[in-house]
Amino acid sequence: MVDIHLDAIINGRKVSRDVKPHLRLLDFLRDDLNLTGNKEGCGAGECGTCSVFVDGVLMKSCLMPVAKAQGATVDTIESLAKSGELSVLQKAFHKAGASQCGYCIPGMVMAATAALRANPFADREEIKERLGGNICRCTGYQKIFDAVELARDVQNGRVPATALLETDTADGEVIGKNVRRIDAPSKVSGRLKYAGDMTMPGMLHVQVLRSPHAHARIVSIDTSAALAMDGVESVITAADVPGKDGFGVFVHDQPIMARGKVRYVGEAIAAVAAEDALTAKRAVAAIKVVYEQLAPVFDPDEAMLPGAPVVHDYAPDNITKHIPIRVGDVEAGFAASDLVIEESYSTQAIEHAYLEPEAGLAYVDHDDVVTVVSPSQNITHHRHMLARIIDKPISKVRFIMSPVGGGFGGKEDMIYQGMLALLAMKTMRPVRLVYTREESIISTAKRHPSRTTLRMGLMRDGRIRALAMRMVCDGGAYGLSTEGVMRKAAILAAGPYAIPNVQIDTYGIYTNNTPSGAFRSFGALQTQFATESQLDIAAERLGLDPFEIRRINAMRDGDMTHTKQKLGSVSLMRALEAAEQASRWEAGAPTVRGPSRGDLNHDDVRPSVTLGTRFASGDASSEAAE
Amino acid sequence: MARKRGRGMAACWYGIARTATVDRAAAWAEIDDGGSAKIVTGVTEIGEGILTVLAQIAAHEIGVKPEHVVIGDNDTARAPEAAHAGASRQTYMIGNVVALASREARKRLVDVMADMWSAPAETIRTGNGEIWAENTNHRITMGEAVACAKNRGVVPIGSATFGTDTTGIKDGKGGDGSGRPWQAYVFGCQVAEVEVDTVTGEVQVLAVWAAHDVGRAVNPQGVEGQIEGGVVQAIGQGLMEDYQLKDGHTSTSGFAKYILPTSLDVPRVNSIIIEDPDPIGPLGVKGIGEPAMVPTIPAVMNAIYDAVGVRVFDLPATPEKILMAMREKDRRETMAPQAAE
Repeated sequence: MVDIHLDAIINGRKVSRDVKPHLRLLDFLRDDLNLTGNKEGCGAGECGTCSVFVDGVLMKSCLMPVAKAQGATVDTIESLAKSGELSVLQKAFHKAGASQCGYCIPGMVMAATAALRANPFADREEIKERLGGNICRCTGYQKIFDAVELARDVQNGRVPATALLETDTADGEVIGKNVRRIDAPSKVSGRLKYAGDMTMPGMLHVQVLRSPHAHARIVSIDTSAALAMDGVESVITAADVPGKDGFGVFVHDQPIMARGKVRYVGEAIAAVAAEDALTAKRAVAAIKVVYEQLAPVFDPDEAMLPGAPVVHDYAPDNITKHIPIRVGDVEAGFAASDLVIEESYSTQAIEHAYLEPEAGLAYVDHDDVVTVVSPSQNITHHRHMLARIIDKPISKVRFIMSPVGGGFGGKEDMIYQGMLALLAMKTMRPVRLVYTREESIISTAKRHPSRTTLRMGLMRDGRIRALAMRMVCDGGAYGLSTEGVMRKAAILAAGPYAIPNVQIDTYGIYTNNTPSGAFRSFGALQTQFATESQLDIAAERLGLDPFEIRRINAMRDGDMTHTKQKLGSVSLMRALEAAEQASRWEAGAPTVRGPSRGDLNHDDVRPSVTLGTRFASGDASSEAAE
Repeated sequence: MARKRGRGMAACWYGIARTATVDRAAAWAEIDDGGSAKIVTGVTEIGEGILTVLAQIAAHEIGVKPEHVVIGDNDTARAPEAAHAGASRQTYMIGNVVALASREARKRLVDVMADMWSAPAETIRTGNGEIWAENTNHRITMGEAVACAKNRGVVPIGSATFGTDTTGIKDGKGGDGSGRPWQAYVFGCQVAEVEVDTVTGEVQVLAVWAAHDVGRAVNPQGVEGQIEGGVVQAIGQGLMEDYQLKDGHTSTSGFAKYILPTSLDVPRVNSIIIEDPDPIGPLGVKGIGEPAMVPTIPAVMNAIYDAVGVRVFDLPATPEKILMAMREKDRRETMAPQAAE
């Protein structure tokens, strides 16, 4: 393809150069001009972190072909704090604590800037609507709204600019104070470099071949055509691993690339390092793999049945981990109960959806140390595993944790760093891999989907006499954190309640689904969802207020847990009281009394969204007819 | 009425730091030329604000301003091990160990000044970038004090390690699960107020009151940020997010199909921070990252039941499931009016 010539004004400077016509505006800004402040989060116009101004209009630069910028004026996040001085809005983001991982923030700052340009007096609800095209996964958006409102008020002179400054710590005490985040200035200005923003001289680009099958034997892999391509430096498969292959947080059952067979769709099979990403992609397409299909298993309950397809030979029953908890005698407890409730619950797989897709850089340094720079949540464990996989002493393996653009447990797995290290060793050049959003979603861990049955036996006065729970989780194709998730799920399953008879069983099961792994709240979310739902069912049956039934059963200072650990101070009663008072909770049994409640709709409750009514041309008051 | 409101609540508990194993972390501290503090430890920011928390802790312990704390890069070849960034352990494990290392560095400097001023070490105070001896007119900047120490051949450094007194649980064959999985526990409670559109089945979570024990709160704004983010992630799982697979292939490989909470989906979150200090660690801190997420879903499901009398047992509570459950409830009630009594 012939280059096209582009003339544009970018961040106030004239740019005139030849560009590849297949580039998006985002690629041109980030790769050709090294303006890496705006990020790529999804490549599909959904997340907004790539948002820039084109001729003053907020645009998602991942959706715009570079040729469309011909003659345009483009302003990126870098334009807002050009001389290093943050804009009022950026200062407000700093002050309000509006940035956490920071990856969405460049786009969020651009969208908020556009919002206040469009309406300098926008109220909180309008601000929400104007930020509706930008996703943030960390903050829950509250502090972002706070920041935009603060900037609005400072700009309008309603609040003095000193409101943007650091909290006063003149008394010398800094603990318990809202000290502004020290990493925020670099995040709100786009100056912080995440792994995907980093480059090194002579760097190669990596792409990965992934399995189209859920369960298949690999008969052969032919990389010769890929290796013969101009610009391709190296192609690796499991055969190139020099040491003992295998990673995982608890069991090391996952090879860095599929070995012998594939166990889920999206599993890495081979990786290519080439002079540019496009060449690497073409080389991946030229790798020929012959598969022999194997019977797959997708349902964890079916996977536990005798004769089910076996995912890993070491676990012929497909059980990754079973965790039991036993206290007292549950059957005797149920027999002595006045009321026994049994229900089933299920939770779905969910994606971490950190805005920063996986990315990493690897090189071999002057001391022959294999170095991996990546947003890893566990560099300590990763270096242990990598040392064994590449057969080097730990002193010759180095992990550097780059700024993490959201983790939530999803970046605890060493899912791609092994391939990077191996390619750096093969080529003795720096190599970089940046996942697309699709790659990130299909190939990395999810929250464990669960199926739970819960039996709860209670006395008429609300005391829980016995609790029995069985939870089966789909762990997917590899172990990752499954064992730990099952353990935490079980330990915390019965809730913070003193119960004399408890029986918990959690099972993590291998299937040919996308692997499940660590995810914020690590199994405790699944089990306590069931227990806390069931407590309300019990409260209705017994005519008790939901707070009351929990108080009746609450662990107190010095009580034993279900793992027979003696607790010290137990703050549960304080938490119950605080939530009850703050929400002005109207006491009563949970008998569908929403229609008659008197505690609803106070000024600490947001208005319900009636999207679009603000812009409706005609009668926006049709809601009032209800 | 097309829209009905209701409220629900749920409680939670959670363990802080690694589960059923011995957790540990280490840090180095140095009071540097000019009176700034340098902290090096093997784990860092994943967005929760730990760098700021560590800067506050080092500043508090050494007596400098947080903006004069420099935190070294996280690097297995250049920093001491602090294990991983997860398990709601950062403030607890790394915060406590940075406090201990900072105390040791401060003690080195204090000992030099006590000797120079012929004052008992316990009368030496530090704060706001200054060091002084109580009831004397000895008062200099930390920068000057570092120069004094170096002139005497002392570099004011400290190092520390912090480990937990925990055990595995008996979860092998025939085990009862007994053990001491954590040394710090936190508790919480949330109330949710929802509005259910009975025509579309759509649920809006309008407010959440979230009361959480976090131990001593180092940066309350950061704690709120964790609670707000956790609540909204939980609402994502509770109401909309769904990674779908058919025969191992996903149909939700992008954000057009995998639906995440946006600015229009989030409730007002009213955080109530409870500080029940941890008696074991030197700072009294605990944690909040994960527990913030645990009670939200059952609180919302209990609120939906309060509003329209249907309970969702299978997440997520999509509009389709709510409508189906409401229709089923109506059908049951019209077929057997007596049974409802």
